[in-house]
Amino acid sequence: MSNHSEVASPDVRVIHPLPGTSDEARRQQVAILGNPNSGKSTLFNRLTGLRQKVGNYSGVTVEKKVGQCTLPSGRRVDLLDLPGTYSLHPGSPDEMIVRDVLFGLNPETPSPDLIVFVVDATQLDRHLFLAMQLIEVGRPVVLALNMCDAAEAEGIHIDEMALEQSLGVPVVSISAAKGVGIGTLRRLMDRDVEPSNARFRQRQPAVERVLQSVSARLPRRNLLSDSGRLDLAFALMLDDGEDDALARYAPLDVQDDLRILRARLDDILPQWRTDDATSIYEAIEGVMTHAVSRTGVSRADQRRDRIDRILTHRVWGPMFFVVLMGAIFQSVFEWAAPAMDLIDRGISSLGEFVGSHMPPGPLESLIVDGIIAGVGATIIFVPQIAVLFLLMSIMEATGYMARAAFIMDRIMGRVGLSGRAFIPLLSSFACAIPGIMAARTIDNRRDRITTIMIAPFMSCSARLPVYALLIGAFVPKTRIGILTLPGITLFSMYFLGIAAAILVAWALKRTALRGGRPLYVMELPPYRMPSWRSVLITVRDRCLLFLRKAGTVILAVSIVLWFLASHPGLGAEGVRFEKRIETAERAGNETRAAALRSEMAGAKLRNSFAGRSGRLLEPLIEPLGFDWKIGISLITSFAAREVMVSTMATVFNLDDSGEGFLSLREKLREAKDPKTGEAAYTPLTAVSLMVFFVLACQCMSTVAIVRRETNTWRWPIAMILMMNSLAWIASFAVFQGGRLLGLG
Amino acid sequence: MIDPNGWVTLDELTPGGDGVVRGLDGAAGIVRRLMDLGLVPGTVVRHVRCAPLGDPLEILVRGTHLSIRRSEAGKVHVEPL
Repeated sequence: MSNHSEVASPDVRVIHPLPGTSDEARRQQVAILGNPNSGKSTLFNRLTGLRQKVGNYSGVTVEKKVGQCTLPSGRRVDLLDLPGTYSLHPGSPDEMIVRDVLFGLNPETPSPDLIVFVVDATQLDRHLFLAMQLIEVGRPVVLALNMCDAAEAEGIHIDEMALEQSLGVPVVSISAAKGVGIGTLRRLMDRDVEPSNARFRQRQPAVERVLQSVSARLPRRNLLSDSGRLDLAFALMLDDGEDDALARYAPLDVQDDLRILRARLDDILPQWRTDDATSIYEAIEGVMTHAVSRTGVSRADQRRDRIDRILTHRVWGPMFFVVLMGAIFQSVFEWAAPAMDLIDRGISSLGEFVGSHMPPGPLESLIVDGIIAGVGATIIFVPQIAVLFLLMSIMEATGYMARAAFIMDRIMGRVGLSGRAFIPLLSSFACAIPGIMAARTIDNRRDRITTIMIAPFMSCSARLPVYALLIGAFVPKTRIGILTLPGITLFSMYFLGIAAAILVAWALKRTALRGGRPLYVMELPPYRMPSWRSVLITVRDRCLLFLRKAGTVILAVSIVLWFLASHPGLGAEGVRFEKRIETAERAGNETRAAALRSEMAGAKLRNSFAGRSGRLLEPLIEPLGFDWKIGISLITSFAAREVMVSTMATVFNLDDSGEGFLSLREKLREAKDPKTGEAAYTPLTAVSLMVFFVLACQCMSTVAIVRRETNTWRWPIAMILMMNSLAWIASFAVFQGGRLLGLG
Repeated sequence: MIDPNGWVTLDELTPGGDGVVRGLDGAAGIVRRLMDLGLVPGTVVRHVRCAPLGDPLEILVRGTHLSIRRSEAGKVHVEPL
């Protein structure tokens, strides 16, 4: 193949000009496709670098990653990272998206002009299954043999020329993780790639005739080859009417006839549904003999086996798993601490600096008490989020995540879920939003909804700020062996969430979501060194996502809250307060004046809009040990749980009579109950509040995503009712039980 | 149940043992999925090990390690090697 890059004139390049757009105006769409674990996303990151954005396919919450890539000719193309898939006959919403995009059935994502198909060169034969299905669709394809270095090391020699001949598409060896062959791939992407004419499937004449007759009645799509149309006809034949995109595509009279045709084929050729899989694998064997040779014995298999003997051992496997999970949560606290201290000090100095350089008044109050305090209290937790996602992406990239699911499947099975539900649930420890979205890889609807319903019980990173604040303020740093009491408390909160999730899943699976267990198949990928670049990009993306939320939602809520907490003011009572303070000052009684100032600030807050709504809530939450200040933060934390921290900061800053920027932890410890004069919050209050945060549904974004995932209001409403009543009952039990035992 | 051909189901293979896929039974969707993953008749498959709690199994088919449940492995009929 030539390494020259030529820019063809646009009229040649554009395969199916869209009506109303000039050829030049339309940017070329290139898609990256491959099996799960083929290194697809690493290649995507390698080709796009920092120019990528993550969105969603409309109607479903399958992640849509789009980036930009400049080719050697200087031409820019849009690069689409399609979800990993095993087959063009979809078994999950992810795979359905891939099928729809490729066949041009997705109204918003046009069929790509070029597809870069990524295979793991060490597992070429099984990855060729999807490659051959794809090539037969008749779109231009470039085959990238990823991990070519690993294949060489294992003694697998792939003859690129022979492979090109057999498949009819350009082939390039690359290593996405190490950056090998990327230049050649980019030059190939710059060329005009012709669709392949190769055909791999042998169909029985009877099946072929039926598909021909169905395909002749389907609407014409100019981008599909004849064999691609046969594929669509076959997909229609296999579908049992649940596939919306197919149903929209096929005319109604065709759909009616499909049932008759299916029954006829069932009579004469009982194997017709699976014959094509068999024939593709026969074709693969031909290609493999032609293009691949092996020398020596693979060491990788032996190494993998040695590792798996320990990591999936009946005793050492689960033990390693538990120790690893414990270590992860301990690290989140310990590793992030230095960076958090630094941010804490920075924010404090900024608050003091701004406060001392501005005239006191409403604007100064807005900036210091509203904006800096609110956003600062949230930014401080970015280090923890970074550490957690760093560890989780390493687990994913090394292949351990799949072993964890393998070990957990039986246990998840106890509550009627598959090991696959483990990964969405584990992701929910960072944030329930991606976790709930990750649940789309679960084929079975009942399993998926159960997983979605219990995902918010996993303690997400937005709860971490709340736990960190309360543990830092109220749990002594006692050492117990190698652990510390704060660490143990944190672990217990995570554990409580898991226990609640198991309970709810068990209940749901016996009531609203009864049904048999679905098919479960999961790949156990080889152990690999992670691509640090991809790991770091994931960490960066998650942190940015959190910061964007901090920058918009939290800032907005902080300002609204500052307003609610400082208005409408005290009016005539305020004037009386000021007079009394003045009198005290003239009399030289500074203590009295300071006490009056505190009292005035307290009165102002109690009288504010926020104070009034918090007080309205007080009778309901008093049995849980919460006062109206916590009540306010429970209201505001519905925007996002971490807002609780900034709310408390704002509320306490206003309550304070301006002695500077005291840390919120100290203020919580120092807060006094106005009636008794004793500490307003005890360690027992802190535990009760944490338990409430573990269990309550306090996140607008979660509710919104559940609504979108389940496509009905039924599940999100059920979730709010179920989680909040559970939270109230559990906190009530903790607080009242603790008091009976004489704690706090 | 003793099969006249000496065939067993995949989950009955001893861990570490190989077999040749001879046939699949069960619902069309599940059979289709298993075949998509390479379990077509004539393929050599190995029962590598089972998970710490006895289920699922790890199988090796066409160079790929897959984890499948005993209930599904029971639908794959193999001739032990």
